Amino acid sequence: MLSPVLIPHPTSRWGKPSRGLDLSIVRNIVKTNYYRDSLQLLRLSEEAKKIEGVRDAAVVMATSTNKEILSKLNLLTSEGLSATPNDLIIAVFADSQHAIDHGIQQIEASLTRAPSGSKNHFQTIDAALQSFSGVNLAIVSVPGEHAKEIVMMLLRKDINVHLFSNHVSIEDELEMKQFAKSNGLLVMGPGAGTSIIAGKAVAFANVVRRGNVGIVAAAGTGLQEVSVLLDDGGLGVSQALGTGGGDVKDQIGAISTLQAIEALEKDVSTDIIVIVSKPPDPVVKDRIVNYVAQSTSKPVVTCFLGADPSANLPTIESRVSLTRTLHAAALETMRRSSVHTNRNSISMAPTQLFELTREISGKLNAKQRYVRGLYTGGTLAYEAIIILNHMIGNVYSNAPLKTNLKLPDSCQSLKDSILDLGEGEFTLGRAHPMIDPTVRQLRLIEEAKDPEVSVIMLDVMLGYGSHSDPAGAMCDSISKAQVIAKNDGRELPILAHVCGTEQDPQHRSDQIAKLRNVDAIMFPTNALMATAGALISRRDSISLTSLAELYRLFLDTSRGK
Amino acid sequence: MLLVDKILKLFSSDLKVVNIGLEIFKDELELQNVPVVQVTWQPYPKLEKEYEDILSKIL
Repeated sequence: MLSPVLIPHPTSRWGKPSRGLDLSIVRNIVKTNYYRDSLQLLRLSEEAKKIEGVRDAAVVMATSTNKEILSKLNLLTSEGLSATPNDLIIAVFADSQHAIDHGIQQIEASLTRAPSGSKNHFQTIDAALQSFSGVNLAIVSVPGEHAKEIVMMLLRKDINVHLFSNHVSIEDELEMKQFAKSNGLLVMGPGAGTSIIAGKAVAFANVVRRGNVGIVAAAGTGLQEVSVLLDDGGLGVSQALGTGGGDVKDQIGAISTLQAIEALEKDVSTDIIVIVSKPPDPVVKDRIVNYVAQSTSKPVVTCFLGADPSANLPTIESRVSLTRTLHAAALETMRRSSVHTNRNSISMAPTQLFELTREISGKLNAKQRYVRGLYTGGTLAYEAIIILNHMIGNVYSNAPLKTNLKLPDSCQSLKDSILDLGEGEFTLGRAHPMIDPTVRQLRLIEEAKDPEVSVIMLDVMLGYGSHSDPAGAMCDSISKAQVIAKNDGRELPILAHVCGTEQDPQHRSDQIAKLRNVDAIMFPTNALMATAGALISRRDSISLTSLAELYRLFLDTSRGK
Repeated sequence: MLLVDKILKLFSSDLKVVNIGLEIFKDELELQNVPVVQVTWQPYPKLEKEYEDILSKIL
């Protein structure tokens, strides 16, 4: 496990800066059956890169994704390659044998260092609960196969659960949710990235004002976008409950979503209910809509992304609005609110957007005709696909609208492509791209090399849980991407949408300023960015009239007005 | 009729949280002045295959 590898001519199709002709050394140390969570390892990796003499380093679980990324970073040796997913790899690249030894020694010391030892750290749930009475919420983020055992233990102790873990089987999810429901408790998740409960951000959530809008979302970044856009317009959130994407599958039947809707209906602080979801199974969508029609009395705004709002609907009362995008859901909620709102904060007239994109696309050459989206937010990626699909037709993705449009290889874009970098193939055994920008940094460089790309779109997610400076983390790669295009005689417009508020730890205005400083073009909503992406890539074939029709269908309208 | 009284109680109470897994979620709650304790979760140690085979024969 100790043989070093000399690197004479490292090159990387992912755009890692070439190390040129040198005799630097990479070494991998494999620690078998050794677990640390992805965030601990991300932190260790960042610290390792700062060790004197170390030029690059990574500490990762040996999943296939991580080995692939190590390989693309020129940090994988045969020792690392043979490690299994239960093993941990320490990978160090340095200029000398001494620096390698020193680096590995430091990393191993950090690995074995005990946790902070705070009085608030416990080894078992029982010990924690014995010392800390009155717990009313648990956040669980263990590997998915271990989630059910822990969640059931918590439910038996009468504790509601926010379950962040992914890769939980549908059978486990059903068992947990049925048990929770029969005991009057809520399981938010699995795969619940965001909630705002009693005014506090849970997991990935933004700092938004408190108010009278209750949100239920089987779509984490959908919840974030809607709550942020409402905040922008002057509305606040009473409660926002993430239920996880699995909840709207046929096998689960929206157990948690219906519980949450009933609770918001009875919550005296909630005057309007917003329901956001990636496409539910049709039967489940009908079930939710029927429940809303028959068992609620408050105004309700729904956004079932990707579902045809006119299909199979019962007679809907005027208090229920059906929208097709997060943007429209936010606007419609503002329209229905009795509180004064500023809808202009997230609006852009079709003519204004048309003119802006004409100006941008005027600098492109004839070969540049495809749009690419590199998303960290899955729901935002989906919203972009829906808009692009309407405006330009087929859009490839690793999480596509139709199965025949699934990218054969997620590492290789095709024509018009939208990537959800939070999908399993990019995150197994490593931190989510909202925390760790590495995968997107590398991919942006790669996309910039494609002469047929006309425009690249990026979401930048702020809030608790996210990277402390997500815009800053992308700036270097944005500049490099633009230099690559320029050296090839092209312009490469980069569009960006910052999903966050001024009160978020990263401060929206600071993040926007950083992106503008590297010539990124900013949009107030993801839907407007996607619309701009379509207009730029198909600059000769989309008229102002067809843009106005898109606005009518996707950005402005609702049924049941 | 669903039972939602416990959920409504959660809405109207101050949060008190046990966090199991990623410590970042505990840190962010502390920043919001939410009382929270951390359970440092580890998977059960996995036996080497040969030991597992021996044990399965014995037991």
